[in-house]
Amino acid sequence: MVDTESLVAVLPELLLVMFAIVIPAIGLGTKDSRILGFTALAGIALAAVGPALQILEDRNAVFFPSDTGLLVLDQFSALFMLIFLSVAFYVVLASIYFTKDDKHQPEYYTLILLATAGMMVVASATDLFVLFVGIELTSLSSYALVAFRKKDVKGAEAATKYFIIGGLSSGFALFGISLIFGVTGTTDFTLMNEWLIANPYPNDLVPVVWLAMIMIVVGFGFKIAMVPFHMWAPDVYEGAPTTITAMLAAGSKKMGFVALFKLFFIGLIAIKADWEFLIAIMAILTMTVGNLMALNQTNIKRMLAYSSIAQAGYILIAIPVATDYALAGGIFQILTHAFMKGGAFIVVATLATVAVGESINSYKGLGKRSPFLALAMTIFLFSLAGIPPLAGFASKFFLFWAPIQAATDTGADWLIWLSVAGIINSAISLFYYVRIVKYMYVEKGESEDKLVISKTMMAAVAICLILTVVIGIYPGPFYDACWNAAQALLSYSVPLP
Amino acid sequence: MFENIPILSILLVLPFIGALIAFMLNSNPKMSKIVALVFSGIPLALASLMMFDMVQQGYDFSTFSYNESYIWIEQLGISFTLGVDGISAPMVWLTTLSVFLAILFSWDVEKRTASYMALMLILEVGVLGVFMALDYFMFYVFWEIVLIPMFFLIAIWGGPRRDYASIKFFIYTHVASLFMLLGIFALYFEAAGDLGYYTFDMAAIATVSGDFAIMFQTLVFGLLFFGFIVKMPMVPFHTWLPDAHVEAPTAGSVLLAGLLLKMGSYGIIRIAMPTLPGAWDIDAGALTNSWFPGMTNWQIIMVILGVLSMLYGAVMCIAQKDIKKMVAYSSISHMGGVLLAFATFTEIGLAAGVFMMFAHGLITAVLFMMAGVIQHKTGTRMIPRLGGLAAKMPKASVFIMIGFMASLGLPGLVGFIAEFGIFTATYNAFGWLLLVPIISVALTAAYYIWAMQRVLFGPVTKDIDLEHLHDVSWYETAPLAAFVGFIVLFGLWPALILDFIVPAVGKILVGVF
Repeated sequence: MVDTESLVAVLPELLLVMFAIVIPAIGLGTKDSRILGFTALAGIALAAVGPALQILEDRNAVFFPSDTGLLVLDQFSALFMLIFLSVAFYVVLASIYFTKDDKHQPEYYTLILLATAGMMVVASATDLFVLFVGIELTSLSSYALVAFRKKDVKGAEAATKYFIIGGLSSGFALFGISLIFGVTGTTDFTLMNEWLIANPYPNDLVPVVWLAMIMIVVGFGFKIAMVPFHMWAPDVYEGAPTTITAMLAAGSKKMGFVALFKLFFIGLIAIKADWEFLIAIMAILTMTVGNLMALNQTNIKRMLAYSSIAQAGYILIAIPVATDYALAGGIFQILTHAFMKGGAFIVVATLATVAVGESINSYKGLGKRSPFLALAMTIFLFSLAGIPPLAGFASKFFLFWAPIQAATDTGADWLIWLSVAGIINSAISLFYYVRIVKYMYVEKGESEDKLVISKTMMAAVAICLILTVVIGIYPGPFYDACWNAAQALLSYSVPLP
Repeated sequence: MFENIPILSILLVLPFIGALIAFMLNSNPKMSKIVALVFSGIPLALASLMMFDMVQQGYDFSTFSYNESYIWIEQLGISFTLGVDGISAPMVWLTTLSVFLAILFSWDVEKRTASYMALMLILEVGVLGVFMALDYFMFYVFWEIVLIPMFFLIAIWGGPRRDYASIKFFIYTHVASLFMLLGIFALYFEAAGDLGYYTFDMAAIATVSGDFAIMFQTLVFGLLFFGFIVKMPMVPFHTWLPDAHVEAPTAGSVLLAGLLLKMGSYGIIRIAMPTLPGAWDIDAGALTNSWFPGMTNWQIIMVILGVLSMLYGAVMCIAQKDIKKMVAYSSISHMGGVLLAFATFTEIGLAAGVFMMFAHGLITAVLFMMAGVIQHKTGTRMIPRLGGLAAKMPKASVFIMIGFMASLGLPGLVGFIAEFGIFTATYNAFGWLLLVPIISVALTAAYYIWAMQRVLFGPVTKDIDLEHLHDVSWYETAPLAAFVGFIVLFGLWPALILDFIVPAVGKILVGVF
């Protein structure tokens, strides 16, 4: 039974889908990217109202459908909806100019909105199958978006790669989900956990649960580009249109984390002892490999892609620690990463529109050519490196704080190594971030001409820039939101007997 | 005078506002210079007033005055807490003075003047924050903020190898401060266990940290200490300093040596020592070494690093051809003296160490400014290529001589008081072992007098372009004269500053924050 009140929970998604359908209709009448883009922006802004109120007024959770509850709008899903919507917002804003000469513009915006709707479904799913549907909606839309410039050889290659890897990983995940369903008889995260508690070790089905868990980790591991399933990310990030790269890094990748959070913090928390070491090792591997590979990249998009992999490693720290502080820290890192990394990609996209290439050599002398973009890029990079008082520092601080807190609290001393690894990795990462800054300000470029930049792209960069600085200087309220989100998510997990 | 005014916040905010304004005056370099001068001049005036006020009101210099505290991030117990005592007040004043005079000295900067001035002011914010912060999180934030303007000052306005030097500086000090961060985390969690709540407040943590397990205190001291000595810098972690100094613009060098190095030694005396007495204080149960009876492990390490830096820095000075590199190595040598003074763990030693920090800030400013003047007027800083400057640049030569003499410890100048105090304390604590560090005095005298002889006297060399050679300009004379004036003033009347320092260092020794 669907009552009208519970519709509030799916209203944001419905609004996005509605606009996604309307935009091609408008596209029949006009090819002006501004009209299409601002329509999409309006849709995104409207969709953001519900989640924003949910957080600001601290409303109670709403389930849809109200009795069985497949989707939920609570502090957790609302926060992630806002993150995904703001990523979509600045991506669309930047795209208005970035794609103005491309064909098939209405479809482009439709696909962005659908991908975002998919992410939001993942954020609010309480059921493994619904979650999978959300992931697929996002994935299918983003395959098409990566291939958007079909004449571009690199883009086509990237899309093919992305599609094959994406399909394969979805297969893995689906296989794992069906095994879980077969064993526990449910796909609801909370019930899954209850079954695991009710059937403690030893029992005959343990190997199957493990197999399912590994399948799901592999499947989602591809989505978040966890080492050793990360190979596709640099190629796809490099080949995709740069605005789409921003969306992949800041949005759809984070969707994978939401899925992992739900799975591990609710569904499988009962068997935490089985997976904590595995994920901890994956986290350390991911951040180390990402940072080391980033060191000698010469293409800025590839460098940022590897840096994204490293950042995924940091966020993964939250899972084995599995305290509310860790989850809040992980969510906070996702939040700041959405703006600093997305902002960096938008700067790259903006520069591409004024014929500055993707090779880091072409960033030489940028400080003179475009002081605003160079300053913005510097702030994004310093923030990614975790230099105070920027957002990246605040979130890393909260995130690396959590394992030590957990270690002193529970006595699991090995968790401290996660913080140590994170801190050492931050030191390594400084090298490649600062190198770009040095190129922009110290070295002389081939050209000295001033760059003239589109206003909308500048606005997109400015949004990310302001948030990166504001969150860094005054992280309190933002961390509050993350903390409430973490509490909301954990309220579904059944306490261990 | 400042009962109801948040004077310390104002000191922090003014340069920041100035930096924003200066940065926006991109099209009007002249105006940006004036803005920078005004927004560094007001803090100097305020800081001077504050010093007078502290004396006049009869404040106890061993406790913190002008305290301010605002909640910043409630969940983790982070607050914005400021305060100054007898150790930090002189450093705050030195900071405002050095930045003001360094900005005046940079009057001829033509390349991207607005950004340059803005960065100098941001640097002032960072350094002031470090000296006034009473919260670990804030301390760390300001500590790291300092890196960014300095990085750009070296990277944009630096010499030919500036990209190497700037990155080396950045990575060295950032990596070191990450170790410090680990130490801070350890303190924070251990203290939370005892306090029952999470807080980054230095004073609150210090109330319980003295009772932590000795091994824990020893290890955490090591983490903090490592972060601090890389900044100081002590041999063998000093290699970033000569590179950074040689490439940095003159005013950058003045602030780097005059203020940034002091942050390291300030961290030791402000944080590491009073918070973790169990690492160095025998009475608190610190681990002692069987080879050196009566000395604790960290004390031995501090003595060795201090003496090593004093001697190594001095020996390297003799070998240098570049006058600026020589001054850079002399900084290492003098900062080694600070560490040695701290390692005595006596009241006179700590006071002498802090006074050396202050004195070195004044002296090194003159020396780096003169290195800049020589480079600017003659086109070279290479000692063998210089000669006979005394006849051509009489005013400059006087400044160089006073600077050199002050640095080698001529009585009547500020350096003498500091060195005298350090060696007295060393003799008190370690007896005849004093003979080892005191060699550095002889070496210091040797390199300065030898350099002076080659640069100032003798025949004028062919390498110097006589046509463009003229004496110091007004904007160079004024700051130099001010620094020299203070060198003489505090040399003749050290009590002006020592009266602040001495009451404050006593509490460090009894493990009171």
